[in-house]
Amino acid sequence: MRRKVKLRYLLIFILPSLVLYSLFVIYPIIGSLFISFYKWPGVGPMTFIGFDNFRSLFVGYFSSQLWNAFYHNIMFFFFTSILELGLGFFIALVIASNIKGGNYFKTIVYIPNMIPMVLVGFLWGLFLNPQIGFINEFLKIIGLGSLVQPWLGSMSLAFPTVIAVNIWRNLGFYVLVLLAAIINVPNELLEAAYIDGASAWNVVWKIIFPLSFATFRTLLLLLFIWSFNVFDIVYALEGAQGGPAGATDVLGTLFYRTAFGGLGSGATGMGLGAAVTVFIFAIIFPVSVIYVYSVEKRSSS
Amino acid sequence: MLRLNYAQKLFAYLLLIIYAVIIIFPFFVMIIDSFKTMADLYLRPFSLPISWIYQNYITAWQTANIGTGYINSIIIASSSVLIVVILSSMLAYAISRFKFPFYRQLFIYSLLGLALPANLAVIPIYILMNKFHLINSLIGLIIIYSATGISFSTFLFKNFIDAVPLEIEESAKIDGASDLRIYGSIVLPLIRPAISVVAIVNFVGIWNDFFYPLIFINSQSKFTITLSVLTMFQGEYTTSWSLLFAGLSLSIIPMIIIFVSFSKQFIAGITQGAIK
Repeated sequence: MRRKVKLRYLLIFILPSLVLYSLFVIYPIIGSLFISFYKWPGVGPMTFIGFDNFRSLFVGYFSSQLWNAFYHNIMFFFFTSILELGLGFFIALVIASNIKGGNYFKTIVYIPNMIPMVLVGFLWGLFLNPQIGFINEFLKIIGLGSLVQPWLGSMSLAFPTVIAVNIWRNLGFYVLVLLAAIINVPNELLEAAYIDGASAWNVVWKIIFPLSFATFRTLLLLLFIWSFNVFDIVYALEGAQGGPAGATDVLGTLFYRTAFGGLGSGATGMGLGAAVTVFIFAIIFPVSVIYVYSVEKRSSS
Repeated sequence: MLRLNYAQKLFAYLLLIIYAVIIIFPFFVMIIDSFKTMADLYLRPFSLPISWIYQNYITAWQTANIGTGYINSIIIASSSVLIVVILSSMLAYAISRFKFPFYRQLFIYSLLGLALPANLAVIPIYILMNKFHLINSLIGLIIIYSATGISFSTFLFKNFIDAVPLEIEESAKIDGASDLRIYGSIVLPLIRPAISVVAIVNFVGIWNDFFYPLIFINSQSKFTITLSVLTMFQGEYTTSWSLLFAGLSLSIIPMIIIFVSFSKQFIAGITQGAIK
């Protein structure tokens, strides 16, 4: 039962976090909406310009950059979801099976996650260097010299390479979360299936997968939201420009260039940057609502 | 437990070992290359150093100010974690126990931060920070991280407190203990496992963050560990690969050692945090 509390105590408990949270987490979204209607270089007076920022973003001189970056965010979501959830589930199944040493593998798979994404990017930037990076050197040594590529400098390979590095870093997280879901499946169900003579394949797809589906759904929602926050890995591997020639540009880097400068962008301005924020927020808002409600529901039940 | 037959087991081991090699080998290359001379690194990429150049580490440590980076990151992460733990557990306690209007709405409101494009909403924060003269200040970052950590931490604490039986608190209430006292001397000790999960998850998240320091910090004495390494990659040393590898090793290896030593606690924290 909830108990009555004096207003003074209620405020002591909720006000400090509420003020901090409202000011630095909620207000920035509302504030961005406000700023997106202004022209403002970051200092000096702000000029109200109505929907001009959105016009230049969607149809004007900025639109090619916006849609190019947006396309990459969508692709990023698509490929990281398939690969991280697919590979993650597969590896988790193997670790959860009757092999020995599962705990060691649990530790190993999570190691890359402990390293800041931006440092992972710097590290792989060196490895993928076309002249002396170890990836190309390795391919030459094992007789696959024909596969040697300028991984990060090629228009067609740069983006898949960024995704691959991202997966190298993050996969362990998905393995561990899916592993926890798999272990949660009641053992009696599996034992009963084995007694009925089910194959491993059937046990996976008829029992384990359906019972861990809720975890997949949650991870998918999170992957969607996170895919629109991508910045560090692109910045570290390809710079704030999302090079080569925008082949890896995402909304995070576009936003950074627009709002905080960075060489070579067509225009800089806080108003335009804020409009990018509003655009993203509008896209992920429905997903955010679904996610928050599902989290709340689970917590209350 | 999924039962694999002999052939499947063989395949499973093969798969896991290949994956483990893909994870570990790059670190191995990083460490080996960090001890080489540039010529050695270029000419013999897959052999041990001809002579081990320990000096690379000293040079990297000094040029990138790794020591300062470590100190700043530790100050920022531990202060933020302390604030997040106190504020979120209090908010979660109120949401879980007190009778007041709109407690459910308050909970939903506090969860919104889990699902917002946080990085991209930084402009208004920048303006606020400017107003409070907190640009280029560790305190500014501590405030931001304390605020952004509230959603996840409140959620985890609330779930945990919901599962704590009410009786002890009720009898303490009858004995005349104040709500603050009940929270401090009864509830906090009971939710210690949740505190360690919240602390670990927040600490790692703050430690790994790069975006906010990039935006808000501009003097080298206040650089976090990620910014310290960034300076090496942008400065005059961009072609001295062994130094870059030494700098990366200095910033990466300690974290791996800590993780491997406490991996059980870390993994419990991570998975609980994600699925609870």
